[in-house]
Amino acid sequence: MKNIMIVNSLKAVLAMGTAFGFTSSAWAASCCGGGSASSLVLPKFSQAMVDVSVDFENYDGFWKGDGSWSPDPTGSDLNQYRLNLGYAYRLAPRWQASISVPYVWNKNQYPSFSRNTNGLGDTKVSIWYEQFDKVACVWKVKKWQDLIPAVYWGGTLTLPTGTSQYNDVADNFDITGLGMYRLDANVLLDKTVYPWNMSFSANYGKYLERSVNREYGTYVEPYDAQRGDRFNSSLSFGYTHFTEEMQSLTGTLAYAYLQEDEARVDGAIDTTSGLRKRSASATLAWASEDRNWVAKLTWNHALDREGWGENFPTTDVITVGVSHVLR
Amino acid sequence: MFCVSSWCKFLSLVLLVAVLAACGDLTDDLLPDSDDKRAAVSAGTTGYMPGQLAADFTVSTSNETSFQLADHLSAGSAPADVVVLYFTMWCPICLAHSDHLYNVVIPQFAGRGTVVYGLVDYVSGSVSASRASELANGYAGSEFVTLVDSEHVLMDQFNGAMGTVVVIDADGTILMNEGYRNGAALIDILEQQLP
Repeated sequence: MKNIMIVNSLKAVLAMGTAFGFTSSAWAASCCGGGSASSLVLPKFSQAMVDVSVDFENYDGFWKGDGSWSPDPTGSDLNQYRLNLGYAYRLAPRWQASISVPYVWNKNQYPSFSRNTNGLGDTKVSIWYEQFDKVACVWKVKKWQDLIPAVYWGGTLTLPTGTSQYNDVADNFDITGLGMYRLDANVLLDKTVYPWNMSFSANYGKYLERSVNREYGTYVEPYDAQRGDRFNSSLSFGYTHFTEEMQSLTGTLAYAYLQEDEARVDGAIDTTSGLRKRSASATLAWASEDRNWVAKLTWNHALDREGWGENFPTTDVITVGVSHVLR
Repeated sequence: MFCVSSWCKFLSLVLLVAVLAACGDLTDDLLPDSDDKRAAVSAGTTGYMPGQLAADFTVSTSNETSFQLADHLSAGSAPADVVVLYFTMWCPICLAHSDHLYNVVIPQFAGRGTVVYGLVDYVSGSVSASRASELANGYAGSEFVTLVDSEHVLMDQFNGAMGTVVVIDADGTILMNEGYRNGAALIDILEQQLP
């Protein structure tokens, strides 16, 4: 028997969905401190930062491949919770590194059964270069240079530390990771002219091809799998209110776009794969007067409208997080 | 200012994650294995692996009829050249696969022998809920027979999961049991099996 082995490796996770990197987490801070950036970055001149957040993600239908929206099966209640531990450290005046480790709980209920599983998710290790020497946050624009944003260039390596479909699992409900390494190139622009803030981020990621000899616990004829290249970007606008004690309360609205190309196995394209998602989010962040403590609450919502996504679940994510900056 | 102790903490955290991840089966992803570890099967034995015989089963369909595998084998009342079972939970991936089946595979082999295309619904839990999912996803009146696997008979029997496709020939021998991927392996088997 001649088997043509072509995989769509991204698929397994998406249904029960691990949203690793698909949503905007409530990261700790912007270059000014106080928090609005879409990545785990240190404020300028600070030495380190610890970030802890919890995601509560609820699944509510999905976009099909043609962009039409479809509800989940009647009587289903699909959820994923993630505890994200992050640590960022300054290596040099313009260089910083970070690591983020999620722990994932899958809680899925269908009319015929329910499954609760948990495990380590995929780990991200990043390094960032800051293309600026001074804090790019100003109170008043006096010259055109005051409009120059803080620019970060970064690289992220995703390590497949989670449990994937390629592990010895019973089915897709056990999955907490994608099972593949990925390298991302990142750029982050952040500009604050108090009380206003705007930031833009873009990431382009390439998955590394891997060998596969098992699917959901069953050994199969080995093949090489590679997910499609991934691009995501977000644009956000924020407003900061300062109290008399100079504590700050920042409200941010963001729009995010995610796209992943078709997967390949043994070099052949899987035409049933690929995804696209648009989402919006609102964040409220409180920062202490010294900007050393930041607490955030984010609501991310995927619009269940036709044409706003493809091959992807529509979800709501509530994120609660706190970070502590070490000067 | 470079802080050695903090840098060491960062490295320690990275190493800790690596050590944690290296526990158990997680090394399967960190260090992928390309060896073929499929167990040899004996012809004539019953099981879920390709080359083995599929045990007979009976489940309800979304149209409130009964579906028995034996009926669609060579000695049955409605024999088919092959029976194709696709495990769905009505998810984005599942729909991408079943749409591919519906729009590409079924038309490609229309008129070539007899094929039973079964969607194994292992999540809906009842005939009515399964029928509702079938209708919501545009498969009313299609060539698919939706099999309501409320008790997970098929899921357990074939070690099925989301996206698993099982192909059984007229003698009851399992020809394929693996992820659907892009359907190429299924198409290849149907090309070989159908007149």
